[in-house]
Amino acid sequence: MMTTHKPEIKKLHALNSESEVFTFNLPLKNIVKVGKHEYTIELREDEKYGTYVLWKNRRYPVEIVRTKQNKYEILFNDISYTFTIETPFSLQRKKVLKSSQGRNDRLIIRAPMPGKIVEVPVREGSEIKSGEPVIILEAMKMQNEILSSATGTIMKIGVKPGQNVMKDDVLAEVTIK
Amino acid sequence: MKKVTITKILIANRGEIAIRIMRTAKLMGIASVCIRTDAEPGAMYLDFADEIYDLSGEAPDIPVFLDVERLITIALKTGCDSLHPGYGFLAENAYFAQKCYENKIAFIGPSPDAIYKMGNKTVARQIALSNGIPMAMGSPGNISNEEEALKQAERIGYPVIIKAASGGGGRGMRIVRQPGEMEKMFLLASREAEKAFNDPSVFIEKYIENPKHIEFQILGDQYGNVVHLGERECSVQRKHQKLLEEAPSSALDSELREKMGSMAVIIAKAVNYYSAGTVEFLLDSDHNFYFMEMNTRIQVEHPVTEIITGIDLIEQQILIARGEAMAIRQEDVKLNGWAIECRINAEDVQAGFAPAPGKIEKLSFPEGENIRVETGVRPGSAIVASFDSMIAKLIVSGENRMDAIHNTKKALDKVWIKGTKTTLPFFRMLMRNQLFQSGDFTTAFIENDLDQFHSSSEYEETIAAWLAVKLFTEESLSDSVSSVDYEQGKEMNPWLLNKRINRF
Repeated sequence: MMTTHKPEIKKLHALNSESEVFTFNLPLKNIVKVGKHEYTIELREDEKYGTYVLWKNRRYPVEIVRTKQNKYEILFNDISYTFTIETPFSLQRKKVLKSSQGRNDRLIIRAPMPGKIVEVPVREGSEIKSGEPVIILEAMKMQNEILSSATGTIMKIGVKPGQNVMKDDVLAEVTIK
Repeated sequence: MKKVTITKILIANRGEIAIRIMRTAKLMGIASVCIRTDAEPGAMYLDFADEIYDLSGEAPDIPVFLDVERLITIALKTGCDSLHPGYGFLAENAYFAQKCYENKIAFIGPSPDAIYKMGNKTVARQIALSNGIPMAMGSPGNISNEEEALKQAERIGYPVIIKAASGGGGRGMRIVRQPGEMEKMFLLASREAEKAFNDPSVFIEKYIENPKHIEFQILGDQYGNVVHLGERECSVQRKHQKLLEEAPSSALDSELREKMGSMAVIIAKAVNYYSAGTVEFLLDSDHNFYFMEMNTRIQVEHPVTEIITGIDLIEQQILIARGEAMAIRQEDVKLNGWAIECRINAEDVQAGFAPAPGKIEKLSFPEGENIRVETGVRPGSAIVASFDSMIAKLIVSGENRMDAIHNTKKALDKVWIKGTKTTLPFFRMLMRNQLFQSGDFTTAFIENDLDQFHSSSEYEETIAAWLAVKLFTEESLSDSVSSVDYEQGKEMNPWLLNKRINRF
């Protein structure tokens, strides 16, 4: 008889709303680890209290507010927590997806401080390499080279020599190669 | 003849306050009649009544507790010689009190005249003014130019606030802290008022910065005797909703208490007030106080006063309504210890105190000498949107403030409520908050001084994560259970999902 083997899952990750990851080894033990500390916890249920966690000899109420696919809202000690549960595989896929979404094909270069534009050493349409200066900005009587953090083409230059800029004003846009 | 007999009270209310009133009535040998409504036919308060008037099965246009004629009819039909309005609903309705009086039903509360006068803010302000009660000063009318504004501000004292006469919602308001700012602020306020309300008229009022909300409990009889029972501190509030009250207040010493208390007595006497009432003041950081309003009813937070004075306010209300002369003199009133009341509501503190209706599944409270719990719900009770969100009032006392905070902290950890989100996490955090512990907080506390309305440790979050993983392994990794989308399950109450966790 043929048996199909599911890949064995050795770990599960719980991601909170800030994408902090809590990892648990499988099979799941009644142990919760924070830093160097390890606690034994127990999930129990009785008529008077309903479901609760026994932790350090105290009962804490537990409720499930809602579950949807791999998303869980848990009420523990009357405080709500929402987690999405990921396998190592789905977590990896999520990371890849996120980084590809996060990768922008456009770089916007902004003024890191208020000051005066002294020089624009590039032209719209010219090629630029990562680490090369795009703008020279004078601030606090110092000339600062504002560098491109990507290699590509200068799409747009928003300032002229002699012009005063505020912090976060757009200086230039680069199309990333 | 002011004496009347009170042998049977119609409770024109529901929930915890109905139970609270019936508890004292029973001790006094007085029978109580409650009304069963269609909204909550199995409500807990009905269990405490000697007689129930059944209106379940009826879907009235207005709730019976707001229906003057209906309540009078019920009182007469059931042979009640008296009626207690509780708080909310018709408790501060002068017409209702008048109707009771006309039908020879003793209204357990103040006279219709006192309710009317204190309910009308303009009338109340005039009464306070003519009796020398400190109030936030204001310009006599609208102000047309900057010179006049300066003159008024000089008289009132800085800081002042310029307000749009036709204003509201914060627009057209400017705070002026010194004369040098007046010209600019006056113009700004006036222009803003014109733009927003099509009317540039403005007036000036004293600006009371971050005040404390301090209220005095007063008791008066029908013979002109009035005493005050000390103050309650109600500064922990959100959008004018009180969340926690304590008695006494750490902001008052005996001298200030005497001063404010005697003002509260003066204003009560000015309207021939009898029964229990509350005079509200704002107290600024320099200990100046200003009359705000008077509430002509028993308040939600009355238990903290009862605990530190040992006086049963409902009993006093009944005795006074019976026409008895009050036995309590001002010198008899002694404040002992400290009491804190936490309003445990069905609210989601993590969602800005949004109402969180639900069905109470489990409910238990700690017991002890220094713990008093007032509740009108039990397991199976629904917290419905049509009534308030209160689950219980947890009132804890101690020898002094720190002791009361310590005891409250311990008691809060033993409150067990399942079925809905509650304000418990807020109070647990509050008891550990330094500013709260210092007592130096103001009505701006929740809005300005707190980043979060709950606190959670890394341990707690890790345990919650463990629970989510546990649930996932049960549901998704096991072959026997397929993943279910509960949110799609139409009538499914998510709280019933509790049952699923039993499989662990």
